[in-house]
Amino acid sequence: MPALIEAQDLTKSYGAHVALDRANFSVEAGRIVGLIGPNGAGKTTALRAILGLTAYQGRLQVLGREPLRDRTELMRDACFIADVAVLPSWLRVDHAIDFVAGVHPRFRRDRALSLLAKTGITGRRRMRELSKGMKTQVHLALTMAIDAKLLVLDEPTLGLDILARRAFYDALVNDYMDETRTILITTHQVEEVENLLTDVLFIDKGRIVLDSSLEDISTRYAAVAVAADKLDAARAEKPFHERPMLGKVVLYYEHPDLAKLAAMGEVHSLSVADLFVAKLSGGAE
Amino acid sequence: MKTANWLVRREFWENRAIWVIPTVLGAFLILVALFGKVDLMAIPSQLPSQTVGGGFLLAAAGTFFVVMAIYSTWYLLDCLYADRKDRSVLFWKSMPISDTTTVMSKLATALIVIPAVYFAAADLTSLLMAFILSIRARSLGGALWHADLWLQLQVLWLYVIVTSAIWYLPIAAYLLVVSAWAKRAVMLWSILPPIALVLAERWFFGTHVIANQLGTRLFGVELAFRDAQGCCSWVTTVVDDKTIRTPANIWGFLNPGGFLSSPETWIGAAIGAALIVCAIQLRMRRTEI
Repeated sequence: MPALIEAQDLTKSYGAHVALDRANFSVEAGRIVGLIGPNGAGKTTALRAILGLTAYQGRLQVLGREPLRDRTELMRDACFIADVAVLPSWLRVDHAIDFVAGVHPRFRRDRALSLLAKTGITGRRRMRELSKGMKTQVHLALTMAIDAKLLVLDEPTLGLDILARRAFYDALVNDYMDETRTILITTHQVEEVENLLTDVLFIDKGRIVLDSSLEDISTRYAAVAVAADKLDAARAEKPFHERPMLGKVVLYYEHPDLAKLAAMGEVHSLSVADLFVAKLSGGAE
Repeated sequence: MKTANWLVRREFWENRAIWVIPTVLGAFLILVALFGKVDLMAIPSQLPSQTVGGGFLLAAAGTFFVVMAIYSTWYLLDCLYADRKDRSVLFWKSMPISDTTTVMSKLATALIVIPAVYFAAADLTSLLMAFILSIRARSLGGALWHADLWLQLQVLWLYVIVTSAIWYLPIAAYLLVVSAWAKRAVMLWSILPPIALVLAERWFFGTHVIANQLGTRLFGVELAFRDAQGCCSWVTTVVDDKTIRTPANIWGFLNPGGFLSSPETWIGAAIGAALIVCAIQLRMRRTEI
């Protein structure tokens, strides 16, 4: 089965600024992929290219289609929340549901209504009367009621309080996700999505610096906290990053010799957040 | 077709002015009819009642038409820009609706839907005003109730809506291009390029072809009407030694054949079509302000 998203040498520049620099990646069906990178790394540009919202160079296929040219067809099978608070202020909640039900063949009104019922937001209110968090919930209800093969979420929970964030991710995994769907998600709060992702793509300065499944991360990477006397021995094992912590130094390794590390200190596996910081703050000093 | 229907509904939700302005204008005119001073002395008694009725209907319809022209211009300038300004363009683009369909829905709203709303509002207002005025000024008699005049007015409205939609297509499409392109100040951006072109032509070539072309385009829907002299039947009335000529009916004035066979009409339409393609391309690629 071909990949759901296939990008080869995906490049996009705004004048002199290169937002995407020959990025290569693919996303398989049935995965929940986190696209993770610092501000300005090219996350949003990558998503916009995938969704047919911007022109680009290189080859890009999403659900077998060329996004910019075939956006209309693509949007029957893919849906997205590109950013928070983009529902127009004049739109009424019930009109929004009527509209999407009217134009989207895969929209399920009953589902949207039951999602909205949980939020307590009533139909005749306009977006401008809702708080930022409520607007996001309306948008999420509209989007999650679409039976799409690909769901793209760009910072979906920005502006939501912790209860709403947790409820959203629970609903995403338990009610929405199944083997027919694929989710691509960007967020700043890596810790929050870490345990629901199956794959991560790290992006930095427009390039993909890591493309890995979470199982791979746990077997491929390890860190060891060593005291000062073992530091030189530990550095000899070629860590790719290190940082001081509580009088010790934590060193990060790819494909480490675990037996050797265990002799030097306490070994632990890396969380996505750890790995992200380690990968993106450069090599060992 | 279903999608087009929802897109037009969406325009009504977003732009409540589409019906609020004609409603307010109609209400204002009805108030004037109710409480304004009716000065029948200003109407020369020699004028045939047909002329008085026709004048009344044309004045009411003309008022609505002028307001409509101003509002439609603003609507076209704002419609695509507004989506980018509040970033809702990202929501609209998450729907399986092509940019072509979206742009055409805006164009159709400006050239057909809005005129139709004003047409209905003008008719309703004229009807109520005629009713009120006939009661308030009994000496008007049946002047405002000539059925054939009402019929002519309906035909005139439809004729003007269709001919203006074709004639003003390049201008409407140009406004859409500005709306899809400008980062701010759509009004300014819509006026500056034509002015710059006119001035540049005058400066470098000392000619004013562009200015003339723009002038004919802006005020040139007269091509759809026959020149007054000789073609039509007139009613002549003498009032205080002055001869007043008024048209007996509109039929002789309409010139659909001349309008449709004029190259100017179709050159304009072709330019309009090209500009619509530009607007669609811009809508496809520009999502940011």
